[in-house]
Amino acid sequence: MKNTTVDNNKDNRFELLRELLLAEDREKFNSLSQEIILREKLAKRVSPLVDEKIEDLRENFPVYFGDTITETIKVQIRDSQDEVVEALYPIMGKLVKKAIVSEITKLSDSINKTIKEKFSVQEIIKRFFKGKKNDADVVLQEVFEPIIEEVFIIEKDSGLLSGSYSRGNIADKDMVSGMLTAIKSFAEDAFSKEGQDLEDIKFETFQISLKNFKTIYIAIATSGVLNSGFKDELSDHINNIAEIILRDRSYLAEEEKLNDLIKRHLIQEKSR
Amino acid sequence: MIAKKVLLVGNFGVGKTSLIRRFVTNEFSEDYISTIGVRISKKEVQYNEQIVKLLIWDVAGTSGNEKIPKAYFLGANAAMYVFDLSREETYIALEENLKMVKELSGLQNITLIGNKKDLLTSEELIAVKNKITVPIDLITSAKDDENVEDAFTLLTAESLK
Repeated sequence: MKNTTVDNNKDNRFELLRELLLAEDREKFNSLSQEIILREKLAKRVSPLVDEKIEDLRENFPVYFGDTITETIKVQIRDSQDEVVEALYPIMGKLVKKAIVSEITKLSDSINKTIKEKFSVQEIIKRFFKGKKNDADVVLQEVFEPIIEEVFIIEKDSGLLSGSYSRGNIADKDMVSGMLTAIKSFAEDAFSKEGQDLEDIKFETFQISLKNFKTIYIAIATSGVLNSGFKDELSDHINNIAEIILRDRSYLAEEEKLNDLIKRHLIQEKSR
Repeated sequence: MIAKKVLLVGNFGVGKTSLIRRFVTNEFSEDYISTIGVRISKKEVQYNEQIVKLLIWDVAGTSGNEKIPKAYFLGANAAMYVFDLSREETYIALEENLKMVKELSGLQNITLIGNKKDLLTSEELIAVKNKITVPIDLITSAKDDENVEDAFTLLTAESLK
């Protein structure tokens, strides 16, 4: 029994000693434990919000950062032009090459088709009797067929439109005639030293030919490749129509009548 | 329908383009638009029971040494010379400028318009009128849409003479 008492006392002392020695650690442990619990709770609450924000960012990234990125890229390109060119050059080269190859293939197909059609025995015999055009002209004219897009007959001084033909829809023809006359006057005044007339305005895919007469000029917009044969023929038709108009000035006062004349002498005649 | 070419000439900034804008689109822009060389507008007007298609050539400043192709003036049926009532330099050489426009266009009469009436008091307007020796056809304000229609009616009438 005595021993037991001694033992009990001993245990109590150990217990007390442990309490004294570990009290601080235990406090730290409890505090850490609380902190972890708190963090877990916080994580549970914050996690969905973070997920939501990430999703929002993923969906609206261009809206939030588009301008900044664009600006950054611009600055990068500006500051490192050589590097950018070096990086893009091979890619651009390939793209350009691909486009050219594709267009050449189309052109080649078209030329082959035309050659096949135009160099049949019948066509050669037909051409032999007609004379005029050379073989290259025949192929070119077929592949890049010249088309009369617009015709304007305009009073030379005033720029007032007397008659016209239009294949498609064009902006106000009266205004176009006026502006064309103004541009013509400007170019003639600025560049011509011997009272010469402006005769051609060329664009990439079409051109405007201006044929000047005493009181009128005729502007013809054409697309396609204009070979010498087409030009000669067109010139003949324009001279013919001008002669008719200048012999009978009533055409200049009657727009409908003049429009009919243009159709008959320039458009239908050319398509024959 | 009859088509007529009419000219609008005068120094830079006298309000030619604004007059045209007011007449053609019936609205006035506060923006200052200086014309470069020439600008062409179109308006169909009814005059004495006939419709007249006016092709209005708004020609840039005609005084001083500005180089304007003389061809702009050719074939015109009528011309309106516009000056700014609030700027003396635009009407100081009126006689000389009107003579030049007549010579270039071959026209006998030029309609003379004093614009920007809105910038002057009635006393100032009287003083300006007293300074000008050439008869003024009409005083206008493109900003307040005053007499603009009448000015172009005068011009239309002149083009039909």
